[in-house]
Amino acid sequence: MSYFEEETYTDTSFDVTVWKKIFRYMKPLKKHFLIGLMAVVMLAFLDVAYPLLNRFAIDGIIEEDRIDRLPIFIGLFGVYVVLIVTMIYTFIIHAGRIQVELAYAIRKDAFHKLQELPFVYYDRTPVGWIMARMTSDSRNLSDILSWGLIDLSWGLLMMVGITIVMFVVNAKLAAITLSVLPLLIYTSIYFRKRILKAFREIRKQNSKITGAFNEGIGGAKTTKTLVLEESNYKEFDRLTSRMKSHSIRAAVFAGLYFPTILFIASIATALVFYFGGLEVTTNELFTVGLLYVFVSYVGQFFEPVMMLATILARFQQAQASAERVLSLIEQDVDITDRPVVIERYGTFDKPLKENWEPLGGDVTFDNVTFKYKKGETVLENFNLEVTRGQSVALVGHTGAGKSTIVNLVCRFYEPTDGQILIDGKPMQDRSIAWLHDKLGYVLQAPHLFSGTIRDNIRYGKLDATDEDVIDAAKMVEADAFIRTFEHGYDTQVGEGGARLSVGQKQLISFARALLADPRILILDEATSSVDTQTEKVIQRAIETVMEGRTTFVIAHRLSTIVNADKILVLEHGKIMEEGTHEALIKQRGLYYKLYTNQFQ
Amino acid sequence: MKRLRQFLKWMKGHLYLYVAAVVILFVLQYFRTLTPLFIQHIVDAIFAGDPDASSLPGFIRYFVEGDTLRQSLLLVAAFSIAFTVIRALLFFLHRVLIATFAERVAYGLRNTIYNKLQNLSFSYHTQADTGDLIQRSTTDVDTFRMFLAEMLIEVMRLIFLVSFAIYQMARMNVPLTAITLATSPIVFTSALIYFNFVKKVFKRVEESEARMTTTLQENVTGIRVVKAFANENHEIDKFEATSSDYRKESFSLLKLMAVFWSATDFVIFIQYALTASFGVYFTLTGQMNPGQFIAFLTFVGMIVWPLRQLGRIIGEFGKTTVALDRIDEIVTQKDEHEDDHGGTPSIEGSVEFDDVTFQFDDDPKPLLKNVSFKVNAGDTIAIVGKTGSGKSTLINLMVRLLENQGGRILFDGNDIKSINKKHLRQHVGIILQEPFLYSKSIYDNIGIMDKNADKKKVHNAASVARIHEDILSFEAGYDTVVGERGVTLSGGQKQRVAIARMLLDNKPVLIFDDSLSAVDTETDIQIRRALNHYWQNTTVFIITHRIVTAKAANKIIVLDQGEIIEEGTHESLLAKDGLYAELWDIQSSIAYDFQKRGQRSEDT
Repeated sequence: MSYFEEETYTDTSFDVTVWKKIFRYMKPLKKHFLIGLMAVVMLAFLDVAYPLLNRFAIDGIIEEDRIDRLPIFIGLFGVYVVLIVTMIYTFIIHAGRIQVELAYAIRKDAFHKLQELPFVYYDRTPVGWIMARMTSDSRNLSDILSWGLIDLSWGLLMMVGITIVMFVVNAKLAAITLSVLPLLIYTSIYFRKRILKAFREIRKQNSKITGAFNEGIGGAKTTKTLVLEESNYKEFDRLTSRMKSHSIRAAVFAGLYFPTILFIASIATALVFYFGGLEVTTNELFTVGLLYVFVSYVGQFFEPVMMLATILARFQQAQASAERVLSLIEQDVDITDRPVVIERYGTFDKPLKENWEPLGGDVTFDNVTFKYKKGETVLENFNLEVTRGQSVALVGHTGAGKSTIVNLVCRFYEPTDGQILIDGKPMQDRSIAWLHDKLGYVLQAPHLFSGTIRDNIRYGKLDATDEDVIDAAKMVEADAFIRTFEHGYDTQVGEGGARLSVGQKQLISFARALLADPRILILDEATSSVDTQTEKVIQRAIETVMEGRTTFVIAHRLSTIVNADKILVLEHGKIMEEGTHEALIKQRGLYYKLYTNQFQ
Repeated sequence: MKRLRQFLKWMKGHLYLYVAAVVILFVLQYFRTLTPLFIQHIVDAIFAGDPDASSLPGFIRYFVEGDTLRQSLLLVAAFSIAFTVIRALLFFLHRVLIATFAERVAYGLRNTIYNKLQNLSFSYHTQADTGDLIQRSTTDVDTFRMFLAEMLIEVMRLIFLVSFAIYQMARMNVPLTAITLATSPIVFTSALIYFNFVKKVFKRVEESEARMTTTLQENVTGIRVVKAFANENHEIDKFEATSSDYRKESFSLLKLMAVFWSATDFVIFIQYALTASFGVYFTLTGQMNPGQFIAFLTFVGMIVWPLRQLGRIIGEFGKTTVALDRIDEIVTQKDEHEDDHGGTPSIEGSVEFDDVTFQFDDDPKPLLKNVSFKVNAGDTIAIVGKTGSGKSTLINLMVRLLENQGGRILFDGNDIKSINKKHLRQHVGIILQEPFLYSKSIYDNIGIMDKNADKKKVHNAASVARIHEDILSFEAGYDTVVGERGVTLSGGQKQRVAIARMLLDNKPVLIFDDSLSAVDTETDIQIRRALNHYWQNTTVFIITHRIVTAKAANKIIVLDQGEIIEEGTHESLLAKDGLYAELWDIQSSIAYDFQKRGQRSEDT
C-alpha cells in the first residue's frame, strides 16, 4: 500500500546515485545546458555590474562635474542593454529546450518500458500511479532541471559576485554588512521546512475534498434513495472546516517569512547607512557612488534568497519524483526471452518474423505450479492436454485459478515450477512476441480505444484492408448495427468506447479478434447482464469466433460450457472434474450440483 | 454591475476583512516608496549639511535629525530598522487578513456547491458529466480563491506602488518624472496584448497534453488488449506521435515567451537608460541633487516592472469570470426539495399505480404509458421486461427521483406528490443494481443506515446477505476501506453489502433493482430464501432479468415499451403464451437442452 501512496514525503537526504542516473538524460542536451549556463553567468555578471555602471554616473560624471562623459555613459548603457536582452533570450530558449526535451526523453523511455513489462506488473500497479509517473513526476523533474537549475545558478552566482565586489571595494564594510548572513541562512532553513510541511497538509486536505465531491456526485442516486444528504453534508463540512483552518494556519506561517527576510535585510541596510556613511566622510576613497553600490547590493543580495529557498525545497521534491520515475524505468521485466531465443526470434520492437514458424495450437500443461511472490499458491501440479482446435471451458468460483491458467497460456505469468508446451515445445523456446502474434484475447468487458469503429476492429490486424474489417464485422453480426450509425464505420467510439452500449462493444471486440485470426483464443466471459435478444447475437458471435481455434474460455454462459470440448471444474487451483458435459453430468459431482441449482 | 454582484455574492459577511487588508496595503505601499528616500536624505541632507534638502516627509525627518553627522547617520540607520519592523508587522497582518478572507469565502463556496449537488434532482445528475462537475467544484473554486487572495490584491498592490512612486518622484523633479514614465504605456499595453494572445497558445499546449494523456491512459488500461494483439510497437508509435506533438507545442510557447520577455526587457532597460542619462544632465545643470538622482534610479524600477506585471495579471482576469459563471451554473439550479411541501403520512405498504404516464421533456416517446396496477401490503411483485421497457423508470417514479406527468401513484391511498420526498425515501428502500459504496470501512458502509447499530446487528445483517464470510477473508475484515484508496469489491460483493445495509432499516416497501444480478445463482437463491423470511411483512418489488427469480412472486408484471402487456402469476402467464412465456423459453431452453443432454448421458 505504502509503495503506491501518492505522495510519500520523507525528508530524504541528497541521493547521488539517483541524480547521476537522471543526469544521463542531460547528456544529449549538453549543448543547451552549456549555452544556457553561459547566458546565466553573463546575466549574473551583468546584474553585479549594473550598480557599477550607475556609480560611474554618480562619481565619474556628477561628482567630478564632467558632462563630456555623458555620451560614454549612454554608450556603455547601450552595450549593457543589448547584452542583457540577448542573454535573457538565449537563456529562456535553452532552458526551455532542456525542459521540453528532458520530459520527452523520460516519457519515451518509460512508455517503452511499460510496453515491455509483463502483465503481472499491471495487476499490482494502480493506473493512477503509472499515470502520475508519466505526467506530473516527469514534468516536475524536467522543470527543476531546466529552470530550477538555471535560477539556482543565477541566484548563487549573483550572490557570489556581489560578495566579491563588496570585499574588493571595501573589505571592512563588506564584512559588517554580510554579518547578517548566518541569521539569514538559519531563518530560511527554518521557514523552508515548515512552510513545505504546511502546504503538504493542505494538498492532502485538498485531495480529500476532491474525493468527497467525487463521491457526492458519483453516489448521488444512492445518497438520495438512502436519504443520507444531511449526514454526508456534515462529514463534508468537517473536511472543509479542516481545510480552512489548515490553510489559514499555513498562510500565517508563510506570511511571516517575507517580513522576517525584510527585517534582516533592513539590518544590513542600516549597517551600510551608518558605517558606509561614516566611511564616506572619513575615507577619501569611499565615494557617494560606492555607498549607492553597497545599498543596491544589499537589495540585490536579498532578492534571490526566497527564490533559492523555494528551489532547494523543490529539488528535494524533484528527487522524490526522480526516484519514482526511475523505479518505473528500471522496473525488472521478470518475464523475458532468453538470449538464444532473441537471436532467432528478435525482440518485441525488432522482431525477426522470417524465422517465425507457424503455431498449431496444441497446449500442454506439464506439472505446472504457480505461486505468487507473496507465497500464495494458486496452482499446484497442474496437468492439461489440449489439442489444436479444441475448446476448453474453465468453470469454478472466483479465486479457483481460472484467470491464472489463462494468464499462463498468454505467458503473462510464468510457471513457478513445471512447464507449458506449445506444439510440443517448451514455451520459453520461442519469443513472447511470437506467441502473442498468434494469440487472441476477448474480454467481454471489452476495452476499446478512442478512435473510429474501423480503427478498433483493425486493431486486431493493423494492415487489414477495409474489406477485411467489414467482413469481420459481418461475421459477428456487428455490421448491421454499425451501418445504422450516421457515420457507419467512421463513427467515433469515444473514450473507452463510451458512446456504445455494452453489447455493441462486445461485438466489436469479437470482430477485432476474428480479424486477428489467432490460433489460440482466450475468451473471458463477463457476467454483465444484457437483454435476452442481444444475448443470442453474442452467443452466435462466440461460436463463430471459436470455430477452428484452440480456445480457453472463462465461462459463465451455460451454452458455451455445454458446447466445449472439455470442461474443467476448478477449485483452489486443482482440477476437481474434467470431461465433456455428458460425462460430467453422469458423474453427479460438483459440476452437476453447480448447474442443477440454477434451474430448480 | 451584474458581474460585481456575482463577485460580491460570495463575499458577504467577510468583506470587512478585505477592506481592512486593502487599507493596510495602501499604507504599506506608501511606506515602501519612502525607502529610496533614506539614501537621498543621507546624501543630500547629511553629507551636504543641508537639512532642508531632504525629501523625506516631515514626520520622519522629525525622528532622524541629529546634532552631529555621526548621530544623524545613527538615527537614520536605527529609524530605518524600526520603520521596517512596522512595515513587516503591517505586511504580516495584511497577509493574515487576506488569507482568512479568501479561505472563508472558499469554505462557503465549497459547502454551498456540495450541498447543492446533493440536492439537485436525479435527472440533473443523469445528464451531468461527473468530471466536469468535479472540475467546477474544485479547480474553479480554487481559481476564484486565488483571484481573491492573490490576483486582485496584486493588482491593487501594483497600482498603489506605481501611484506612490510617481507621487514621490514628482515631489523631487517633475520633468524627470515625466521622462521616467515615457515607455510605461508601451510596457503595459504590450504585456496586456501578449498575455491575451498567449492564452490561445496555452490552450493548444493543454490540448496536446490532454491528447497525450488520453493515449497513455488508454494504453495502460487496455494493456491486456495491447499485449494480446502484440501491438506494442503500434502503441509506441502512437504515443510517440502525441508526445512529440506536445513537445512541439510546448516549445513554441516557450519561444513566444522568450521573445516577449526579452523584448519588454529591452524597453524597460531603455527606460532605465533614459532616466539615468537625463538624471545626470538635470543634476549637473543644478535642477536636482545627487541624492535625488540616486533615488530616481530606484524609482524607475518601481514603475516599469510593476506595469509589466499588471498587464500580465489583467490579461488573466478573464479566467475568473469564466470560473464563476461555471460555478453559478450549478448553484442557480433548482434544488429538488425547494418546492416540496409534501406531508408525512404513514406508509404501510400498499401501492397503487393509477394510469401513470411518464416522458422526458426532450423525448417525443413516453417511457411509461397508462400503467395501472395494485399491490397489497406484504406482497411480492416481480417486474420483467427487456432493456428499455420502462422498468427503471417505474422504480424511479416510486421514490420521486422522477415525477410522473400523468396519473397517480398512491401509497396507502395518498398521492405520492403529497408525500415529502425524504419521508417517502425513508420508507421506500431501493437496492440498486450498481450500488454505491462510500469510501469508508465496510462496517461503516453497512452501519450507515443505523448509526446506533451494534456490532452484532451489523454482523448479522452481513450474514443474512451472505457477505460476512467475504468480509472476514479480507485482511482488515470489517475495517477494510472500500473504494479508490482501499479494496475494490466485485460487483456481486457490492450488491450484497447494499443488501446488508438495507437490512439495518425496517422499510415497509423495498425495491430490488436487479440487485442480485452479479451474484452467482447459487448464492442468489440462498440470499432470497433468507430475505423472504426476514421481510415477511414488507412489500417487495423485484426487477429482474432472471425469470427464475420472478417465478415465485405473488404477481408478475411484464412491461414492454412502457406498457403493461401481461400481468399475473407465473403459471397464468405461461398459459397465456405471450412475451413472458417467450422470455421463459429462451432462458430455460438452455436448461431443457441441458437436462436433455444430461438425460441422454445418463442413458448411455
